Amino acid sequence: MDKLAPNTSSLGNIVADQLMLKQALALILEKIINKALSLNISNNTNLTSIDNKRLTVILDELTFPLSFTVYQQQILVTSLAEQSDCSVITSLKTLKALKKDQQLTELIKQDKLDINGDIKIAQQFSNIAQTLEIDWQSELAKYIGDFATYKLGRIAQSLTKKFTFLKEQVQADSSEYIVHEQKLVVTKNQLDNFYQQVEQINNQTDALMQRLNALTKK
Amino acid sequence: MSAPEQQTNQDNSTHFGFKTVDKNEKASMVANVFHSVAKQYDIMNDLMSFGVHRLWKRFTIDASGVRPGNKVLDLAGGTGDLTAKFSKLVGKEGKVILADINSSMLNVGRDKLRDKGLVQNIEYVQANAEYLPFEDNTFDIITIAFGLRNVTDKDKALASMYRVLKPGGRLLVLEFSKPEHELLNKAYDFYSFNILPKMGELVAKDGDSYQYLAESIRMHPDQETLKTMMTNAGFEQTNYHNLTGGVVALHKGYKF
Repeated sequence: MDKLAPNTSSLGNIVADQLMLKQALALILEKIINKALSLNISNNTNLTSIDNKRLTVILDELTFPLSFTVYQQQILVTSLAEQSDCSVITSLKTLKALKKDQQLTELIKQDKLDINGDIKIAQQFSNIAQTLEIDWQSELAKYIGDFATYKLGRIAQSLTKKFTFLKEQVQADSSEYIVHEQKLVVTKNQLDNFYQQVEQINNQTDALMQRLNALTKK
Repeated sequence: MSAPEQQTNQDNSTHFGFKTVDKNEKASMVANVFHSVAKQYDIMNDLMSFGVHRLWKRFTIDASGVRPGNKVLDLAGGTGDLTAKFSKLVGKEGKVILADINSSMLNVGRDKLRDKGLVQNIEYVQANAEYLPFEDNTFDIITIAFGLRNVTDKDKALASMYRVLKPGGRLLVLEFSKPEHELLNKAYDFYSFNILPKMGELVAKDGDSYQYLAESIRMHPDQETLKTMMTNAGFEQTNYHNLTGGVVALHKGYKF
């Protein structure tokens, strides 16, 4: 089946149509993206070069396409797949790996990614996502005040440090285990050898018992 | 056409909600309703539908297959929700005409869209759906959302839409319809006739207009009847999607 024309007759699609799940997801995504764009403080994010361009993303995990149309520094999210400037067919996992440009060719070769249309459009969308910079503390301070934001920031920093330390500790312990402890762990060959020796002793004991029985009868 | 509508057509009368009125009077009566509710229209839509009308409209956009450069007619476009989206999707090369018979609704829509910075590719036309003031084969897409039930002669309006649609173009009719399940139908009736007018009274200070809204929904043709009406007007491959259990239905038809 053509991936650009998702099957609309399946039960899943009928339920999704009735509940308008596509439209709800598009609405939420559109709100989040445009809010993030409005809070962006980076000077490197410019949508002008892709004004009126449409990128369609078809994910393996979804039964419908998601289209992102740029209009005057805003992004409109729909399920329209018609006349897209670039279509990307992939999975969520691969989408995360797309951050590095050099991986693009490799992912296409591995059949994890299929791109139709102008690849530069996809790259420009990816660049915009990467250059987004939001001053969360200033935004938060507008709602809860400077002092509470400062305190929350300190707590978040402290928690981040603790988690980083914990992560490093786990990594170090794992390395130590691999280098030192694993040497002490009995391997499968050693275990097989041990069973073999036990079997031999068992056989020898049986033989000895037979000889003893024979001697006592005499 | 539904049986009651056929009956009223014979004696030159039609429905205004549950009332039977002269055909010549309906347009001005509907106009009075919308002059009255225009300013509170958006907030009432959000309240009445719990915000779900935004999803119904998005569904319509997704079903439109709109492309950059298309020419779209948003008929009975009111406060311009669909026009705003279409304007962004057709781009600089395309055009959206927001048409409404009611000047108050058109003014509210124009102010709202201009405040949003949407000025490039939108035109505003005060027009009666029964006599569309456009040349034959003009539009790629025509939408009429929550407007057809207020039109006096629906068959004439559908024929007029067919005339101005380009060959290959599509008509999308988003309208209240008949819920699929009896239990939902009863709950919907209770909500429409007991809660809705009170909400209208409280927020828009006009309970009567919202009583008309509830009545006009009941008098509107059901899914299959409207589908037949569209086919009779000349539309092909006519079909419909029930949304929210049939509370609303999106009818789609093509002109080839």
